[in-house]
Amino acid sequence: MDGSVRLDEVVMRFGDFTAIEKTSLAIGSGEFFSFLGPSGCGKTTLLNIVSGFLVPSEGQVYIGDEPMAGVPVNRRPTAMIFQNLALFPLMTVFENIEFGLEVRGVDKRKRREVSERLLALVALEGSGPKMVTELSGGQKQRVAIARALAVEPRVLLLDEPLSALDLKLRQHMRTELKAIQRKTGITFIYITHDQGEALNMSDRVAVMSAGRIQQVADPMTLYRQPATGFVAAFVGENNRLQARVIDCEGERVRLDGGALGELAGRASGSARLSNGEAAVLFVRPEHLRPVEPQASGPKLEGEIEAVHFEGAWVMLETRLVASGEKLRVQLGHELSRSQADTLSVGQRLVFGFDPADAVVLPDDGSPVVDEETGEVVEGRPAAAGGAHV
Amino acid sequence: MSSQRFLAFGLRFYVVIFFIYLFLPLIIMAAATFNDSRFPTVTPWDGTTLRWFGELAADRGMWQALRNSLIVAAGVLVVAVPIGIATALFLNTVTSRAKPFLYALILSPLLTPGVIIGISTLIFWRQFGVSGGIFLTVLGQATFIAAYVMLMVTARLQRFDRTMERAALDLGASQWQMFRRILLPYLKPALYSAAVIAFLQSFENYNTTLFVVGYDTTLTVYIASKVRTGLTPAVNALGLILILVTIAFAAIYELKRRREAARAVQGV
Amino acid sequence: MFRQLRARFGGPLAMAIVTLLGIWLIVMVTLPQLQMIEYSLRPNLLPAQIGGPDDRLTLANYATLFNNDIHRTIFFKTIWSSVLVTLLTLAVSYPLAWYLAKVATPRQAALCILLLIIPFWINEILRTYSWFIILAFRGPLNEMLMMLGLIDRPIRFLSGNGGVMVGMVYAYILFMVFPVYNAIESLDDNQVRAARDLGAGTVRTHRRIVIPHAKPGIATGCIMTFMLAAGSYAVPALLGSPGSRWFTQIIYNWFFEGGNWNQGAAYAFLLLVLCIGFMSLIMKVFKVGLGDIGK
Repeated sequence: MDGSVRLDEVVMRFGDFTAIEKTSLAIGSGEFFSFLGPSGCGKTTLLNIVSGFLVPSEGQVYIGDEPMAGVPVNRRPTAMIFQNLALFPLMTVFENIEFGLEVRGVDKRKRREVSERLLALVALEGSGPKMVTELSGGQKQRVAIARALAVEPRVLLLDEPLSALDLKLRQHMRTELKAIQRKTGITFIYITHDQGEALNMSDRVAVMSAGRIQQVADPMTLYRQPATGFVAAFVGENNRLQARVIDCEGERVRLDGGALGELAGRASGSARLSNGEAAVLFVRPEHLRPVEPQASGPKLEGEIEAVHFEGAWVMLETRLVASGEKLRVQLGHELSRSQADTLSVGQRLVFGFDPADAVVLPDDGSPVVDEETGEVVEGRPAAAGGAHV
Repeated sequence: MSSQRFLAFGLRFYVVIFFIYLFLPLIIMAAATFNDSRFPTVTPWDGTTLRWFGELAADRGMWQALRNSLIVAAGVLVVAVPIGIATALFLNTVTSRAKPFLYALILSPLLTPGVIIGISTLIFWRQFGVSGGIFLTVLGQATFIAAYVMLMVTARLQRFDRTMERAALDLGASQWQMFRRILLPYLKPALYSAAVIAFLQSFENYNTTLFVVGYDTTLTVYIASKVRTGLTPAVNALGLILILVTIAFAAIYELKRRREAARAVQGV
Repeated sequence: MFRQLRARFGGPLAMAIVTLLGIWLIVMVTLPQLQMIEYSLRPNLLPAQIGGPDDRLTLANYATLFNNDIHRTIFFKTIWSSVLVTLLTLAVSYPLAWYLAKVATPRQAALCILLLIIPFWINEILRTYSWFIILAFRGPLNEMLMMLGLIDRPIRFLSGNGGVMVGMVYAYILFMVFPVYNAIESLDDNQVRAARDLGAGTVRTHRRIVIPHAKPGIATGCIMTFMLAAGSYAVPALLGSPGSRWFTQIIYNWFFEGGNWNQGAAYAFLLLVLCIGFMSLIMKVFKVGLGDIGK
């Protein structure tokens, strides 16, 4: 059963508005693949094109090498899990799960066999005769999964299915989704704006912005080697420092940080950096640590403006003494207890980082968009606490 | 503040008077049934009797009229309910610049006096050689009752989550299967209500019916003609029975509706 | 339009929807009305004359109304009485709607609404007939008034317009109470409290806050009541006398006693124009659209 999905130069336009720029992409059979991006980036549109609810303006979708043009929703080898689940409220759990088989004319005994097996898979044995309205949020989620799996799709499409759950349940369901995917071997295409979900579960992630795929890579690569400024800013948290290239030596790049003095980082992305070019240095808060003022390597002196104690770590909001830019610093166990106790607003500290952890990208001038508010912000927006990391 | 209190008291007093005004006429009419007087009244009371029920039962014209009323009401259900459903589905689906105009046309039978619907139906069918009778009565009544059905179906349809339709299609259902298994069951409570209301509207209609009924007679037309010619308390007996049946109907309908509403609050 | 229907329901079902809607709107709603208008513009001819030289379009049937003093008087009386019925009904309904929406506890309101619905379910003819009994010459109302010594001999309630109007208010009151109630109910309680708090009296609060908010409901109630009153046949037939005829009765007579359908059609069309005119006027005065009335 070939569950590979291929998008071949797909374009989607609504009137004058282009929701999806020309996109080509291959997703392997049995892969857990996510589309990650802020709302309005086009990820849901792509999902609807794969499922058949939308017909692309240009290009072609292949599932298992079969072209899908002219194949209506109800004949595609895909099944969708909807954001609001869309369980049928007037039916029992059994009837919900068996619906897809019933409309295919599968006989009742066979249907019951399948639904019993799927209920076992999602750990809901014995709940079959219940009405779906009697179930809890997490149970409904499992029924939705079982209902989609019942039609033996080659590709399962998940449209932010966990967004309605509370935090704890959401984290638990991540593990379960991953387990179910491994057990069934079905291709999962997962849509989310929550990077934690995408990085945690996926084999590969496509980061999307404004109708365009910015980068397709495995989660670790996305984190370590963002291809564009958007990815660097959107995945994880990053400080953004404007600089100019002095010279490159292999991956290692020396930079002139202006008032910040000489900085260094590692080249990422495919574009070549030429000497003297404007560039952006991305330093993650978790890669900064306090150093002695005389230590070697790049150094940044910041004045603490706020201290957020998060339990496992401390997040400092500082302002760079030399340039006035903001710098967020996350300190974990490298901080001794006495140091931690003395952190206070107004205090000045010098931070260093390993240039191998900091990424240099050409300054493509693309503004960074705050993922929560959708507003254009300078540098990395303040993260909403520790939930994402 | 005391003037406020006085006003509040006055309002309550008014409400009580209002409900007396609402029910007293019906009670007096019912009471007159049992008065042993040739003319329906409660003053003077000439003794209590049940004989008017017997007279009513012996009235063959009444039974014929009742039979006609039931046939007409059944016909109206068959014509008006599908039209009402189709119209509601149409309005719920279509977006078009012509929609406000169509909507006005769809509502127009509710804003047209019943007599005019009767008259225009009568005139229109004359050219096809169809004259007043049960068939035209069904058509005339269904013309505006369909709009009532539409309003009730629309009210429920507006609360329908259309992702459910997408889910059904996505699971492999055809559009017909989606309609049959998802949309229609969802609409069922509204369809029951609409059928009950349509039946009652038909059963008690007078203004439209009067013009299209021809030489046939429905129960309502029969009562009206009895009031004007040959009035006896047998009419009250019939009225009393109809009131009791209607109240029973209304009570069942109300109970069912409340149970639906309670269930809707719990789940979904 | 059809494309959207087909996309949602598939070809056969979309066809069925369009067919049913088309039959209704064309064959049952539009064509009969047009035919009625066409009828009203032709003279009443013997079958042999139809298609002959006399069969031409004319406004003669409309001229009849203005040449016939009795009919004209009844036409205007019907308008005036219907307006009066509408205003009376509004006056009686408004306090009740206010009570249901803002004063009563939810339980009281639920009970009252149930009590209101019951008579609504009962046949209009029976409701009207019950007033026939009350207002009869030797009926309970006259008996009571005589017993109280207010009158010496019975009054003929059923010979004037009074009986008809009382019966109409009674018959159509629910078409006023419910729209007004729904409209007032949607008013935020805090607005009323704020008005009181700012020192507005009862009258001013209603005039400035409640009534402006309830306008769509009041408009709907007035339109429905006027239409029902002007188009009523049952109430004047049961509670009226030959001296207090209603315009609908004239129309009926043209059809079934005068045998002049063309003339009847003209009168019916005038009644329709009257109702549409009243509706447009109300919608203009109250600044509401058709969408508000569908509720």
